[in-house]
Amino acid sequence: MTKDNFHEKITLVLSFLILNNYFFLSLNFPLLLIKINFLIFLAAVLIFYFQNISENIYLKIFFLFIIFMALGTASFGWDPRTIWLFHAKRIFFDGSIFSVADNYAPFSNNSYPNLAPAFASSLAVLIGHWNEVFPKLSFSLMFLPPLILTYTFLRNTQYLIFLSIVFFTIGKFMFNGWLDGLVAIYFGLSAFLMYLLMINTDNFYKNKSLFYYIAFCFFVSLTLLKNEGVALLLILFVTTFLIKIFKGELKKDISRLIFLSFSFLPMILWKLFCYSKGLDDAHINIDLNLSSKLYDLDSYKLIAYFMLLNEKFVICLAFFLLSFWINWNKEIFRFILIAVLMYILVLSFIFFTSPYGFYFQLDTAAVRLVRTLNFSLAFFGLYNLNNYRI
Amino acid sequence: MAKRKIKKIRTLFLIICILQLFHIFFFRSEFQYEVIKNPFKKDYGISFVVSPEIIETINILKKHEVKDFNLSASVKNNIYLFNKTIELNYPIRMNENSKMIFFLNKENVPNNCEVIEAGKYFKFTQC
Repeated sequence: MTKDNFHEKITLVLSFLILNNYFFLSLNFPLLLIKINFLIFLAAVLIFYFQNISENIYLKIFFLFIIFMALGTASFGWDPRTIWLFHAKRIFFDGSIFSVADNYAPFSNNSYPNLAPAFASSLAVLIGHWNEVFPKLSFSLMFLPPLILTYTFLRNTQYLIFLSIVFFTIGKFMFNGWLDGLVAIYFGLSAFLMYLLMINTDNFYKNKSLFYYIAFCFFVSLTLLKNEGVALLLILFVTTFLIKIFKGELKKDISRLIFLSFSFLPMILWKLFCYSKGLDDAHINIDLNLSSKLYDLDSYKLIAYFMLLNEKFVICLAFFLLSFWINWNKEIFRFILIAVLMYILVLSFIFFTSPYGFYFQLDTAAVRLVRTLNFSLAFFGLYNLNNYRI
Repeated sequence: MAKRKIKKIRTLFLIICILQLFHIFFFRSEFQYEVIKNPFKKDYGISFVVSPEIIETINILKKHEVKDFNLSASVKNNIYLFNKTIELNYPIRMNENSKMIFFLNKENVPNNCEVIEAGKYFKFTQC
């Protein structure tokens, strides 16, 4: 905990304002309110920076450098340009996240969730015009809530190691307009909060309602970032559910789990809207003709090559295993291992059933998606060593 | 003694973080000083993200103040030109019924179309 829960409160405010912005744009609120919402967000960031300026100084300095890089780079990739920034541009000019109902430019995957594009469009509303550089700065700003929250649990050198893990696993995805970095960090922190609030036997965090609100905001954000976020959150719930059943504690925490499961609601409403408008989600189409790929050893070699033999994954896995070798903690290990294995299974299923071709899908997506695993493994490995005073 | 050791470890990780950021900046970011000169200027940055062909369509559509446009079959068959023309020209929309059509310069324009402007890459016509 930080003094007066300052970091926790700032995290909740920032996270809530990001979701509030999405809510305003969903209900066609006046532009003035959207501007005020974004101004309050920026004011909260300034409060974080200048209230006790020397606290968490490394994040404050390094994040300025991230902003500098975000404003000095243009986005070229397919996803940032054609999906996220194009959606943001549409929301900016049309004033609503529901403008996609006309299914204009279907190649931009109109049914994808729009939390990040909505936030980018609001930055453009605040500035007063559109261009091809600054809107993606808002994607970088969305990293702040999880980065600030982590300071509550990891201090001093441990926080520096955490930042080092972020730069190593997420790197340029903090400012280049892709959302995979955001998914990785929101999943990592969501998994961590789920562990603290549901699995951990220590009641210290379980009795703090503030952490439930933060967890709720993070869960909603995770589902509204990318479709993959829904699968990831579902994995967290299933993992928790299984462990609770195994430990015979399901009854005790069921009301909390039900409260947190309402975080799926905004995403369900969005998907119902897309379904009612006939917006196609090309990635949900699956090719169930699996036999040729399932019985082919090369398929597994390719999956191992692209996902598991990725050098960053190997380093993060080694760090994770080393951490638990030094300090065995069955609860964390079991929780994160089940979640990670389920994610690998889900990813493998997606790759096996992709209508776009096995190699193509792995080549274009595996390295990005595996970031989520890398970050989570390294983060939990670091947290496991929390008791070592460094 | 322990304090000094902790300080050394902290300094080591501070250096690692700084080195990582410099590595990202110099080798991974594709940072351009031209981009950061005017990051908040209206319509800035288009020339950094698309090819000159797309920029030509933007200039032509702005100049003639049209509300929508269409693309010839050849342009539509080129995925890059098709997607980027639609993306970058928004809120000017592509409309299948629009009479304002872009043809590639090498294409023959149908007799019922009048060339309004011929650029380096495209002919902008009214049909």
